[in-house]
Amino acid sequence: MTGEDPGPLVRLFGLTGGRARPLGEAFDLVAIVTTVSTFYEPSELIPEHLTVLSICRRPTPVADVAAQLKLPLNITRVILGDLRRDGLVTIDRPQPAAQAIDERIYREVLHGLRSL
Amino acid sequence: MGSAAFEPGVTDVTPAMAIKILIAGGFGVGKTTMVGTISEIRPLHTEELLSDRGIGVDDTSGVESKTTTTVALDFGRITFREGLWLYLFGTPGQDRFWFMWDELAVGALGAVVLADTRRLQECFPAVDYFEQRGLPFVVAVNCFDGARRHDPVKIQRALGLDGVAPIILCDVRDRESVKDVLTSLVTYAVGEPFESPATP
Repeated sequence: MTGEDPGPLVRLFGLTGGRARPLGEAFDLVAIVTTVSTFYEPSELIPEHLTVLSICRRPTPVADVAAQLKLPLNITRVILGDLRRDGLVTIDRPQPAAQAIDERIYREVLHGLRSL
Repeated sequence: MGSAAFEPGVTDVTPAMAIKILIAGGFGVGKTTMVGTISEIRPLHTEELLSDRGIGVDDTSGVESKTTTTVALDFGRITFREGLWLYLFGTPGQDRFWFMWDELAVGALGAVVLADTRRLQECFPAVDYFEQRGLPFVVAVNCFDGARRHDPVKIQRALGLDGVAPIILCDVRDRESVKDVLTSLVTYAVGEPFESPATP
C-alpha cells in the first residue's frame, strides 16, 4: 500500500532471529566491548559476528561498533548480547560519568580538549 | 617479572572509558554542525529502528505514516588517547523521540543545550528535560551572522536560568568556540571537586 520496501527490515531482523532486544543485562551506547576469546568455530558465526570480534580486539564503544557494522543500534545490540552470552566478548557495566571521572581523567580531558 | 606483559592490551591498568556528552536543542539550531566542527571523524551515523512505541503525532504533514521507522543518530568522537574517548551525541530533534533521550542521558557527563537567539523558546524543552533529570548542562547560544551584540545576562534571565545553568555565547562553526563550550561543560559538570576555590 505505502510502497515501502520491507526487505531491509526483514533482512535486519533475520540477523537477530527476529529479536529486537539483546539478551542479558542492558548496556549503554558507549559501553566498551572487548573481544575476550577467539576460541570458536568460524562456521557457527555469521559474518557480522566475525566483524564484531575483529573490531573489538581493540576495546570499542557500542556506538562505534554499530557505525562500523553499518547496522542499526538495536540490531547491533542483539548481536553483541549473543556474543556476550557465548563468552566471546565482554561489555563493561554502565557507570555514571560523575563517579567514573577522577581527577586524572578530568585533567586529561580538559587538557585534551584545549590542545585540539 | 612483568607477568601481565604477555598480552598486549592488558598491560594498561586503566580501563578503557568513553565519556558521553549530549548536544540538544531545537530542530536546525546547529547540533550536527557543532559535532562536525569538533569531531576528529566525519560524524558517524547510525540508526535506531523504532517500533510503534516511539511514534506519536508526526507534524511533518505530507509524510506517509509508517508502522516502522528509524531515527538517525549522529555522533562525533574525540580520542584523547587509546582507551579514553569523548563522544558527542546530537539528540533527535523531534519530541516524539524523547525515549531516545532517556537512553542517551543515562551515564552522560552532561549536555550542551544549543539555543538560537531568533528562537530562544525552542530550547525550553531541552532545558526542562535536563533540569528534571538532574543532568548538568550549559546553554550555548549560537550567534548566527556574528550577532555578538547579545547580552548573555539578558538571555539567561529570559530563559529563567539565573543560578540554574551557565550560559555561553558561541559560534558552532568555530572550533575554538566549540572547545570553549565543551571545556566549560566539563568543568561545570565534574570539575568542582578538583578545582580549588580561588584564594582571595
